[in-house]
Amino acid sequence: MRFLYHLGRYAMLMSQSIKKPERQKVFWNRVLIEIDKLGVNSIGIVLIISVFVGAVLALQAAFNMDSPWIPDYAVGLTTRQAIILEFSPTIISVILAGKVGSSIASEIGSMRISEQIDAMEIMGVNPASFLIAPKMIAAVIINPFLITLSMAVSIFGGWLGALVSDALTGDIYVFGIKSYFELYDVFYALFKTAIFAFIITSVSSYYGYYVKGGSIEVGHSSTRAVVSSSILIIFANLILTQLMLT
Amino acid sequence: MIEAKNISKSFNNVQVLKDISATFEKGKNNLIIGQSGSGKTVLMKSLVGLLDVDQGEVYYNQENFLKMDFKQQKKIRKEIGMLFQGGALFDSMNVEDNVMFPLTIFTDWSYNKRLDRVNFCLERVNLKDVNRLFPAELSGGMKKRVAIARAISMNPQYLFCDEPNSGLDPRTSVMIDELIDELTKDLNMTTIINTHDMNSVLSMGDQIIFIDKGSIAWKGDKNEILHANNKTINDFVYVTEMAKRLKEH
Repeated sequence: MRFLYHLGRYAMLMSQSIKKPERQKVFWNRVLIEIDKLGVNSIGIVLIISVFVGAVLALQAAFNMDSPWIPDYAVGLTTRQAIILEFSPTIISVILAGKVGSSIASEIGSMRISEQIDAMEIMGVNPASFLIAPKMIAAVIINPFLITLSMAVSIFGGWLGALVSDALTGDIYVFGIKSYFELYDVFYALFKTAIFAFIITSVSSYYGYYVKGGSIEVGHSSTRAVVSSSILIIFANLILTQLMLT
Repeated sequence: MIEAKNISKSFNNVQVLKDISATFEKGKNNLIIGQSGSGKTVLMKSLVGLLDVDQGEVYYNQENFLKMDFKQQKKIRKEIGMLFQGGALFDSMNVEDNVMFPLTIFTDWSYNKRLDRVNFCLERVNLKDVNRLFPAELSGGMKKRVAIARAISMNPQYLFCDEPNSGLDPRTSVMIDELIDELTKDLNMTTIINTHDMNSVLSMGDQIIFIDKGSIAWKGDKNEILHANNKTINDFVYVTEMAKRLKEH
């Protein structure tokens, strides 16, 4: 019952969010601001995590596939597939759910408890469309770029890891990276990234928008937003993988 | 003019408002008074449509606000200015953007025209050279004044003030009261003020309703309240030591 209650309220909030904005120019300006806040400000964390995880993936692949039956270039190939198919789109999205999701839920939650959302409503402004829609659009636009960046940096990290550890030569790693490459894999990864971006922003906005009480509740809503969006990302990942890769 | 008819509202089976009917007149300060938890804020939020009432009707110039569709309500809302207890200024915007916000959303004015209006409103509330400051950099009194400037920027017909001088020192409180009174008379607005500040009641109360436990326990004005023949209102008015001593003299 409680799940249905939340689902219904979430659907109603989303229908409010996608209503035509009062002023297009103001709306698209807000989208640009959100692209900066949600995307550009996350580049640092994405780069750091990606380079190290890429290196570790390459090392793990090299150490665990040490068999005469497996060619050396399989290290590059495995690392690339792991990065493109799962690590960058899914794990980075879960990390972004922590960073961006908590920020969205606490920002909107603070606006709710300090009556800023009520003030908008009184003025005749649709707060859901003004606050939530630009975040959703911004994330759906910018997250695929972040994930593309993450893929490139992770693959580079894998190359660095391979070189530093002497597990295999750079040429073999690069050969493996190029082997059996399917562009569809990148499309699949970016498509699911866009879905995850929508989940992160909409679910976090939902928890922030309906917060009641004071600062403690804002903190709780922020935690719930991160937990729920992370779980939904993993669940959506399962469904999308089933639908798109089988 | 705003008219509330038989408003009732409950939360979790606790009735907060019981059959409230009142008329709030144009060009007057209409005060809703009562102790904390009496239902003042719930009544105000019900009047502006922030809360759905269980029963009753609200009329803005004879038009039933609660029966209107979203578009019609939006039209009325453009005529409403509201001053929230904490100011409710947008943290991410500076003073200028806060006051300009409704103008940016609802008018086709050029930036310069909007800026002129912002500066006019800020001057009206006696604020100068604060355009670039953010809400976090303002004192409590300044926040309230910026919030008033934002509330009047669209030249509203109706002004709602939820405890406008809570948390302010007596001098700033008086200044805010005088400002609201002046704006109400100058702009001929229907102003509704929630307060439990007796100084505001005595200085601004053109029309007063006293709410006790969700019902209207007394109606009158600032001249009648000190001589009311009603124990509940007398207990409220003469609860402070200062008021008791003044009564004795």
